[in-house]
Amino acid sequence: MNMISETRQKSLLYLENVSVSFDGFKALNSLSFVVEPGELRAIIGPNGAGKTTMMDIITGKTRPDTGTVLFEDTIDLTKKDEADIAQLGIGRKFQKPTVFESHTVWDNLELALNRSRGVFATLFYTLSPEDKARIGEILETIRLTHRSQEYAANLSHGQKQWLEIGMLLAQEPKLLLVDEPVAGMTDAETAETAVLLKEIAKTRSVVVVEHDMGFIRELGVKVTCLAEGSVLAEGSIDFVSNDPKVIENYLGR
Amino acid sequence: MISGFVFRALEGRIVTAVGIILAIGILVPALNLLTPADSALHIPTYVMSLFGKYLCYALLALALDLVWGYCGILSLGHGAFFALGGYAMGMYLMRQIGPRGVYGNPILPDFMVFLNYKELPWFWHGFDWFIFAMAMVIVVPGLLAFIFGWFAFRSRVNGVYLSIITQAMTYALLLAFFRNDMGFGGNNGLTDFKDILGFSVQADGTRAVLFFMSALMLSLCLILASAIVRSKFGKVLVGVRDAESRVRFLGFRVENIKLFTFVVSAMMAGIAGALFVPQVGIINPGEFAPANSIEVVVWTAVGGRGTLIGPIIGAILVNGGKSFFTGAFPEIWLFALGGLFIAVTLFLPKGIVGTIQHGFKARKALKAAADAEKGRGDATTVAQAQAAE
Amino acid sequence: MKIKFFLRVFFLCVVSALASPSYAQSGAGADPRSLIDALSKADFGEAEKLIGQLAATGDARLVPALNAFSEGDLYFRKSDNLVFIGKVSGSSYELTDPVTGASAGQAAKNAVTKIKINNSLRRVIRSAMGGLTLMSPDRGIRLQAADAVLRSPSAENLELLETAISKETDGEVKARMVEARAVSLLSSDRSIDEKRAAIATIKNYGGRNAIGILMGASASLDPSLKADVDAAIASIESGQRLWDIGQNVWYGVSLGSVLLLAAIGLAITFGVMGIINMAHGEMVMLGAYSTFVVQQVIRDSAPGLFDWSLAIALPVAFLVTGAVGLVIERGVIRFLYGRPLETLLATWGVSLILQQTIRSIFGPTNQEVGNPSWMSGSFPVGGMTITWNRMWIIAFSLSIFVALLVVMKKSSFGLNMRAVTQNRRMASSMGIKTPWVDAFTFALGSGIAGIAGVALSQIDNVSPNLGQSYIIDSFMVVVFGGVGNLWGTLVGALSLGVLNKFLEPSVGAVLGKILVLVLIILFIQKRPRGLFALKGRAVEA
Repeated sequence: MNMISETRQKSLLYLENVSVSFDGFKALNSLSFVVEPGELRAIIGPNGAGKTTMMDIITGKTRPDTGTVLFEDTIDLTKKDEADIAQLGIGRKFQKPTVFESHTVWDNLELALNRSRGVFATLFYTLSPEDKARIGEILETIRLTHRSQEYAANLSHGQKQWLEIGMLLAQEPKLLLVDEPVAGMTDAETAETAVLLKEIAKTRSVVVVEHDMGFIRELGVKVTCLAEGSVLAEGSIDFVSNDPKVIENYLGR
Repeated sequence: MISGFVFRALEGRIVTAVGIILAIGILVPALNLLTPADSALHIPTYVMSLFGKYLCYALLALALDLVWGYCGILSLGHGAFFALGGYAMGMYLMRQIGPRGVYGNPILPDFMVFLNYKELPWFWHGFDWFIFAMAMVIVVPGLLAFIFGWFAFRSRVNGVYLSIITQAMTYALLLAFFRNDMGFGGNNGLTDFKDILGFSVQADGTRAVLFFMSALMLSLCLILASAIVRSKFGKVLVGVRDAESRVRFLGFRVENIKLFTFVVSAMMAGIAGALFVPQVGIINPGEFAPANSIEVVVWTAVGGRGTLIGPIIGAILVNGGKSFFTGAFPEIWLFALGGLFIAVTLFLPKGIVGTIQHGFKARKALKAAADAEKGRGDATTVAQAQAAE
Repeated sequence: MKIKFFLRVFFLCVVSALASPSYAQSGAGADPRSLIDALSKADFGEAEKLIGQLAATGDARLVPALNAFSEGDLYFRKSDNLVFIGKVSGSSYELTDPVTGASAGQAAKNAVTKIKINNSLRRVIRSAMGGLTLMSPDRGIRLQAADAVLRSPSAENLELLETAISKETDGEVKARMVEARAVSLLSSDRSIDEKRAAIATIKNYGGRNAIGILMGASASLDPSLKADVDAAIASIESGQRLWDIGQNVWYGVSLGSVLLLAAIGLAITFGVMGIINMAHGEMVMLGAYSTFVVQQVIRDSAPGLFDWSLAIALPVAFLVTGAVGLVIERGVIRFLYGRPLETLLATWGVSLILQQTIRSIFGPTNQEVGNPSWMSGSFPVGGMTITWNRMWIIAFSLSIFVALLVVMKKSSFGLNMRAVTQNRRMASSMGIKTPWVDAFTFALGSGIAGIAGVALSQIDNVSPNLGQSYIIDSFMVVVFGGVGNLWGTLVGALSLGVLNKFLEPSVGAVLGKILVLVLIILFIQKRPRGLFALKGRAVEA
């Protein structure tokens, strides 16, 4: 008990005994999981292990049947919806790159910028010099400066992934949830993405869900392996990949 | 802040469109009033009223486009907002009849005398006052849209489900307004209007003013729509249409965005209905028919949804065609309209204006990309090209 | 016709006052023929006695003669003073034997004389007829006579009824007569105890009529009986309430089955395939028109088959609408998969074209579709009435539902269909021809709409607008029940039907319908995916 309260003191994200089921299928089975401030964490696990469902719960898309989900030790995320949670500072990248295809790269970032999001505030919004500078900065980070005026629809798959990450940066989140960022990327793009994520993790916490073991090795961070809705093992990549349970459940297959 | 909002709206194409609409709004009444009846340039009053009707339909289509073309909400109930605006205007016109009705009752409209009403129902009070009636033209559709939207968007009813329940909404209103004891004249509706603001609704001069007002309101709503679409809010709107969950995870309250747009759109539809009624001289529950609302969708689709000018052109073209066909080959009209629905969805999903702009836009974007290589490029032109989409 | 005539006679017999019921009992045993012949020379007073004696014979064959007498159609032949029923035919009379009803040739107008009649005699005649029928040897006639008395009771019938009851041997007829007697007794001058017993009898009989009778009688009854009457009314009402609920449920189920018929095809095209088919109503309409055409052909070429017309129309309608559906899917819808709002618009266009086509061929007016004999009429169940056509439609829609369920769950086509809905790419790589599965699924949904049209042609106007009136309701049912779930459609249809019928009595049909629409709109807010929603991540994708 003492241990837990200590972890809770300094956690950014705290999940305890979270369970959820769909039509009798238990997607999460008393999952407990803690992310500390400034941490970069990788999550692996076979299909159906509950990775996406966990993200759904953190971001307010799905309500857990039971369990506690706390942000910054005090804020109960199960009582909030997606917009609230995003405004609290949790950004989410989807598995399939989701950007506004009929907007330009610039507009995509402008929309994502962490400014007042009310109806009238957006109606009467005008782009300030600071906002311009910030967008320019992000464009540099995601290496898309030269394509800023192109429609997002015309970007390559990898560039869309980066644009989405850029939008999350513009959102200035404290915690970034990234779902399979390198799926469908070339090797060069994958390597660049790893660098990008490590850079981002310097200023905020990042949770990456990924299948690509090479990519995770490249990140070189603490790994959590999920299976059947709960945590199977946690630790360094070498520790986890040598765990017999992990081998049986995931790697061995 | 506000000036920026309005200024953004006045992008070249919109200025041209507003100019043309206003020119028509002045020219047609002028040709009607100032030329002798045998002149080649003379426009007969019935033609002017017909075109006035098209302008109202154009405004209705623009209203639908705002929610459908930009926000992705396919409302099959916009005819209801149009009809409610029309009823508000109709109630004002009924009260203006005064003792000149068949039964000569100074307070009660004829149909109420006929149905043995003893006194004016409470919701008819105030409608003898023009300002109040005009406020109701906007408030009633807006309120209905607010209540309906508040429930629907909060519980995330969307896509086809939303379309179906908007249709159910207008259908329920259709049934309700057919009832005599609703106090809106039952299936005969409101008609036999005499005066508007003291001027005879039959007079050429009044018709001319009504025509001009239709053109003016269409222009103002076009500017408003343009301002909305070109603001950051408008970009969010398109975001909701294309990737709703992304907008949500960026921290926007999608339900508020939709609700605002839906209410503004309903109000525009109400204005269109209010201008429609004195020009055609009647409003009856038939305007609530679900088929009417669906027809509005095809005007918008033909012209090009997601463009501001498209729905206006679509509404005028389709209704012009309807007037022609129902006069010349009444048998064929439904075949033509049905065929139009199919042809537009299969072969012209962007509509007339959308298809033309698409080619235009693609060229511009290419050029912009080339410019961007040499630096940040000319952001404003490209932003405009994009916003015109 | 014959039944109508008898009913009228009974009615006359019971509404009229019986001047002197005792005639019914006097002069028994005389020969009816000679009694009638005696009328030729009798004055009004004698005629009254003779009629009494005729009534006492209990010979129901005399009813037409008595009726003819009262109508002034009784004549005697001057040559032999024999009495006949006469009907004018040209310049002469067609004569009928008053007892046997056999034809007795013709007579010139001046060869016969009309037997005179006045109102007081007519009254006596009517009472006599009532007595004759109550004691008729034909069980059916006695039952009808008792029913007629029940419907319009009168104290004057009392003794006649009591005589009839004493002679009655058939249980059901006797029970009916006892009830009729009790009702008649209330307005007589019998003792309070007898009346109390009568009230108890009426209470046991129950029904809405009984309440009316008791209420009507309570004013003229002795005050000491008031408590009995009130108690009896209360007791009947509580019994009747149950029947009323039953009747409402029945109407609701019947409406629900109509909704089910209209919606079940949609449950496939919308629920399973995700296609918003606005032309669905027109498929129903085409089915109804197929029925019309089939009936026309049968009328022209083989009228004897008319009772089979619906059975013949079923496969015809299924094939016609199925084929139209196939054409629509191949020609329009297949280009629009994954764009539901576009299918909505395109199919709306299709619906306009189909409507106008039918209007051009058959005209805009309603077409007459006949009911086969086995679908007309009704039968009572306790305190409610059930019509055969509703009965059949409920049975029909439920059997379609079951058949569809079997096709979906058991047949290989159903398996392919479900496979394609769940995972198109996987199904395709397993060798399933997905485009054809799509096409035939849509054709199946359309064909079922056509079959529904056959049934609906029996209860609705067959016009080009038929489909329009069902489309919104059908969508409501599918959305309310939950998309992609046939059971949801069943429950949705039945519960909406019952809800509608329960709202109707208190708020009226139109307002009831509006309320149902509003309730559905509110319900969808609460459960956007309907009553029986699929849950989980897959749905959201």
